[in-house]
Amino acid sequence: MQKGTDLGAVGSVPTAPSQEEKSMANEVIVMKNVSKEFKVLNRHEGLKGSFQDLFSRDYKTVKAVNDVSLTVEKGEIIGYLGPNGAGKSTTIKMMTGVLEPSTGDIQVNGLVPYKDRTRNSENIGVVFGQRSQLWWNLPLIESFKLLRDIYMVPEKDYKDMLELYRSLVDIEPILHKPVRQMSLGQRTLSDILAAFLHNPGIVFLDEPTIGLDVSMKAKIRELIRGLNEVKETTVILTTHDMGDVDALCKRIIIIDEGKKIYDNDIDHLKTYFGSYRTLRMRLEDGSWDEQVIDEKKTDVMHVIQETQKKHKIKDIQLEEISTEEVIRKIYEGSKAS
Amino acid sequence: MTGVKRLTALTRAGVMESLQFRLGTAVTLFGNLIYLALVYFLWKAIYDSCGASEVNGMTFYDTMIYLILATAIFNFLEMFIIWDMSRAIQSGEIIMHLLKPMRYRKYTFWSYSGSHVISFFLTFIPTFIVVMLVTKGAIPIGLNCVFFVVSLVMALVINFNIEMLVAPICLYTESTWGINIVKETIVLLLSGATIPLAFFPESFRRVVEYMPFRAVYDIPLKILLKKDGTNSLEGLLPMLGIQLIWCIVLTIAGNLFWNHAVKRITVNGG
Amino acid sequence: MEKKKRGFLFYISIYKKILIQDLKSKMSYRADFIISTFGMIMTNLSGFVTFMILFHNFPSINGWDYYHMLFLYGFSLIALTPVQCFFDNNWNLRFMVRTGDFIKYCFRPINVFFYFISEVFDVKGLGQFAFGLGTFIYAWHHIGIPVTVVTIAQALLFLLTASLFMIAIMNAAAATCFWIINSGYVMVIMFRFKDFAKYPASIFNGVFKFIFTFLIPIAFVAYYPSLVFVTPDSVPLLSWLSPFIGALFFYLSYKFWMLGVRRYDFTGS
Repeated sequence: MQKGTDLGAVGSVPTAPSQEEKSMANEVIVMKNVSKEFKVLNRHEGLKGSFQDLFSRDYKTVKAVNDVSLTVEKGEIIGYLGPNGAGKSTTIKMMTGVLEPSTGDIQVNGLVPYKDRTRNSENIGVVFGQRSQLWWNLPLIESFKLLRDIYMVPEKDYKDMLELYRSLVDIEPILHKPVRQMSLGQRTLSDILAAFLHNPGIVFLDEPTIGLDVSMKAKIRELIRGLNEVKETTVILTTHDMGDVDALCKRIIIIDEGKKIYDNDIDHLKTYFGSYRTLRMRLEDGSWDEQVIDEKKTDVMHVIQETQKKHKIKDIQLEEISTEEVIRKIYEGSKAS
Repeated sequence: MTGVKRLTALTRAGVMESLQFRLGTAVTLFGNLIYLALVYFLWKAIYDSCGASEVNGMTFYDTMIYLILATAIFNFLEMFIIWDMSRAIQSGEIIMHLLKPMRYRKYTFWSYSGSHVISFFLTFIPTFIVVMLVTKGAIPIGLNCVFFVVSLVMALVINFNIEMLVAPICLYTESTWGINIVKETIVLLLSGATIPLAFFPESFRRVVEYMPFRAVYDIPLKILLKKDGTNSLEGLLPMLGIQLIWCIVLTIAGNLFWNHAVKRITVNGG
Repeated sequence: MEKKKRGFLFYISIYKKILIQDLKSKMSYRADFIISTFGMIMTNLSGFVTFMILFHNFPSINGWDYYHMLFLYGFSLIALTPVQCFFDNNWNLRFMVRTGDFIKYCFRPINVFFYFISEVFDVKGLGQFAFGLGTFIYAWHHIGIPVTVVTIAQALLFLLTASLFMIAIMNAAAATCFWIINSGYVMVIMFRFKDFAKYPASIFNGVFKFIFTFLIPIAFVAYYPSLVFVTPDSVPLLSWLSPFIGALFFYLSYKFWMLGVRRYDFTGS
């Protein structure tokens, strides 16, 4: 699969693919032992330090991404998680061809993104959080038309896509609004629609629901799920919002300090920490005491009894551990190791 | 923190920020030197072509020194107040500033003061030294330098007030570049920074001398170069006096206008 | 289905579409439009007043008299218009790079430089064009340059290629933001140098003539091309070569700009 022909284009594969070829054909993103290093100036403190910095050549190397390997298959919606500064955006930037890896290989849709930035861009869509990629002053429909021309989308495909959009969300109110007049929710919606417009194989969404109210979040998640189902678009979703993860992702990849620390299904996550419970006890002063308990190691009743020795308990809640808690445990676990 | 400590802390922070600009400071200095060369060649050609060594009381050296130092002063006075302010408004940051206990005007003035201190030492002084070397000491060194610094500080205050008077207009009309450029062209032209006031046609010059702009460039430079009778106390004091008057007038006007404008801006909601 | 390669015509048609849409929406910012145009007129007026004051005291410079200097002045204003109108977004480059917003230009399958530059068209530059054109024609008439197909074609060619030089200078100045923090000062300095484009480069000697001809080529913005019209009997070689040199400078500045994009860490966020 060295040539950059559209996956799924009719007639591009003359003979029946072997099993290996079939699974390789399905791999839209392949990262092998990818690392990325940055040189950062060692800044010194104080007035004297600032003077020194004017002339210093003292750099330190920061490894933002450390030997990460992963594969993504067509049509997956992947939750890409990790604390801030963990290296998530750096990996995304490498996958979109904006940064070159220091070591390792990346292939996206059979292309090396950094070497073939233009061709790679034709088949991806990107929404990078707060920054709108649309023309600020133009009504949304005009932005769409420009994108149609830039990506050289055939007129029929363009019209079909708009029809699909109309069936999934109510776009009429925003279609003729300039982006600068839109609310945050409308802007996010527009950016996502714009990212899918040219029917890319992969869409990268970076924190798409940040700052939105609950109903808007639900709408956005519906849209993403709908587009993924109809168009089989692979979606890489970077997020801190567990609601996004629960609603959309079947698989999660967690990055921390540049390393991949988890790569598996979301269900596996639950079984991984299935024995964990969150115990919340309301004390006599009205405050809630919250503890995460591993039932394999600790007896819940014992904890309650111990607490009763010191406080009166007014109320008890025992819940399954949330996805968020699980992830936090994984972060802590990776730090300990 | 007491008032003075606060001001010192702000200045210090400004100094440190200015120092962070590694190549940037060197670039400004380098740019000044190149500009110096341009001015030198232009006026040399101008004077050579006209045949006279002195025109309207200015010799070639006079003109050259005057214009180069005017540029150095321009760099020193440079405040991106209007631009920073409009950006702060657009991002909503301005609300934070207006809530700060210290009044925003004072805060602005002192937070820029750090970069002015740096600018003075890293760009003005070297430019001054180079001019001295190139012209073989044509700038008189003496008490006039002390008065010059005093004059320069007043020029700074006047310039600051002009900026703060213009800033709200920019923000109200939402047109930063346009108003700013009008202000800049007017100030530079009528202050004698583009062409020394000595060359202005008589009647035009007399009108211009009643405006505050000459107090920003023309007066400090005259004091430094000991022109127009400023080498004697009787000639000097009226000049400083004019500057002082403009300082007071513009500070008061600036304060009034600013208070009025802040109400307008916060009403508009940014 | 093989996709066509994105050629020159593609970019022209995209630019036309962006421009039309941009102008349509700019018209709604009426106050800013009027004030900016007024600001532009003020700048030009101030330049004019400076020019007049100069000639009030000094009747000629290096053998260039009033009408010849006026020709140079008008020529330079016209040549400085394209950089003002089409390449104005360079002034925003350092901010977008610093905040990391610049990255959005790198996700689309079109040339990053084109995408970035095409975002902004500065309408007020047209005011400068009007000023320059008026002065140019006035001086042309008073010098007595013949009006033939040849001279008109030459005027168009040399005006166009002269504009490439300032574009190149500003491209390079803006691109320094990929390496240094205070690139704003670099741009301001370069922009101020353009004021000297309206003087004959013969005022320089030796090293400086070299600097302002080949390093920061303001001499090519008006002086060298103008010689073709002003002294048609003794045109230096550099004047005839200026179109090619202009194209070269533009190409080099473009490469430098793109080099900055490639080397940039994109760690703004």
